[in-house]
Amino acid sequence: MIELTQLCKRFGRRLAVQDLTLSVPAGEIYGLLGHNGAGKSTAIGMMLGQVWPTSGQVRLFNQDITTHRSRALRRVGAIFEAPAFYDYLSGWRNLEILSSYTAYTPPQRIREVIEWVGLSGREGSKVRTYSHGMRARLALAQALLPNPEMLILDEPGSGLDPEGIHEMRETILRLHRELGLTILLSSHLLHEVEQLCSRIAVLNQGRLVFEGSLAQTRARGQWVRLRVGDFNRAVAELRRAQLIVAERDGQCVGLAAGAGTDQIVRLLVQADMPVYEVAVEQESLEAFYLQLMNGKREGA
Amino acid sequence: MFYLHLRNELWKLFGKKRTYIGFGAFLIAQNGMLLMFRFTKWQKNWERLLAGNGYLAQDYLSALTVALVMLIPQIILLMPLYTALVGGDLVAKEAEDGTLRMILSRPVSRFRLLLVKWLAGLIFSAVLVLALGGTALAFARIWFPWRGMFVYSLWPEHVFNLLSAGAGTRLYLFSHLFMTLNASAIVGLAFMFSCFNMKPAAATILALSFLFINLVLEHLPFFEPYQEWFLLYHFRVWLLIFADPVPWERVIGSLLVLGAFNVTTFLIGAAAFQARDIKS
Repeated sequence: MIELTQLCKRFGRRLAVQDLTLSVPAGEIYGLLGHNGAGKSTAIGMMLGQVWPTSGQVRLFNQDITTHRSRALRRVGAIFEAPAFYDYLSGWRNLEILSSYTAYTPPQRIREVIEWVGLSGREGSKVRTYSHGMRARLALAQALLPNPEMLILDEPGSGLDPEGIHEMRETILRLHRELGLTILLSSHLLHEVEQLCSRIAVLNQGRLVFEGSLAQTRARGQWVRLRVGDFNRAVAELRRAQLIVAERDGQCVGLAAGAGTDQIVRLLVQADMPVYEVAVEQESLEAFYLQLMNGKREGA
Repeated sequence: MFYLHLRNELWKLFGKKRTYIGFGAFLIAQNGMLLMFRFTKWQKNWERLLAGNGYLAQDYLSALTVALVMLIPQIILLMPLYTALVGGDLVAKEAEDGTLRMILSRPVSRFRLLLVKWLAGLIFSAVLVLALGGTALAFARIWFPWRGMFVYSLWPEHVFNLLSAGAGTRLYLFSHLFMTLNASAIVGLAFMFSCFNMKPAAATILALSFLFINLVLEHLPFFEPYQEWFLLYHFRVWLLIFADPVPWERVIGSLLVLGAFNVTTFLIGAAAFQARDIKS
């Protein structure tokens, strides 16, 4: 649905996005991760034809965004961090105005969407009287009005309270489940991404440093918590046998590819070391992300 | 769809309070001037001027005469300020508020968006000028009768003419077309600046600075032979249609220059807007 090929964007001397190649398949909730200034919003800007790429290509629904912008965006809805509206106009009028830039939207459809997002009864009030949560719902309504097949959400949880974040998360899952939308979500809220996305791409200083499924992030470098009599001696033995590749916190070891906990226990017992506990640690996205970023920093 | 987009722009433009600042300021200024004309020596001086030229003041000190007296300083001083304010807002305010990014995530071309904004600016100019002319005449009519029109101006153009009520009304209405063109040129100038990556206030200030520099340079003796190169020279043509005889060659020339100026500012703005990145 979205294909980025060798995408680069330069602002003056600064290279905001470099050689970004990725593909968002239909039906996924795809997470775009990265710290502030990593290039997520610039990449999204290029996907929506708001930022001109310095080089490379963006294709949405097989249409080049630079040359066929209207056709490419016809089935796309977008929500940005801190959605902006005409505060002096009513919610209804805002929806009429914004949706008209895609196509004429009949009042019946506007009413349906208002109901779907839970804004019924307040659509006639001026937007300046809306709470933050209501503005988020209005943003969702404007994105849904043209009946999109894909939603692009740029930091949608930003500025929301925990209740708002929970509601936003539930809404995204509902959109995916009930309307079958493909969703591209940019965020630096790792917990949110972990709960929502099936696939992620991680950007660091404009470069793609990881692209894959969440399952891959968990499988990569599996950690095992190890409680033994002498941890340092155990690590030395396991390293010599090439069963582990890393250790951390004086209690965890990172398994080498192909190594299993049964081999670790067997080796330690044979080496006459008491083993009190061996537990596989499910690696969180946060740990994976931090490891990825630290690795890149050290590499740099 | 084009009509729908234009309607949207008009909703946006006429839905916000700051659009009406100009209308409010004009109403206050008009009433202030009318009171000054009525209750100071101003009226007496005009009566003497008419009598000195062999005319009866009671025949020509009319609503039309006073309305034009009120219009001249407002068109020169106030109109550029308020039209530049609105023109500077048209694109830059949307970019600043973030609504431009919301619009440009939709399949609408940048050129189409700018065209409807520019047309909305043109409609605003016409509405402002008509309201300005209409209220000036309405307020003047409260104290002055509907009679012949006396047109007297030393600056910015020298015009002296006496017209019947019918002819005066026709020319008064006709002059609104030229004033609208002036207003739209200023809106277009501020609009052009607002298409670049800048704050709305900066676009307004740049447009006003352009006009101010025009005004200063135009009055320098060195530039006297190059008068027609300055925008304000062409702005004054609205007053010349009250002259007898009307200098049609200059009027038509100025009309063409103002039309070309409007198109040029739009195209420069559109090119800048097309090339720029829209970011939060």
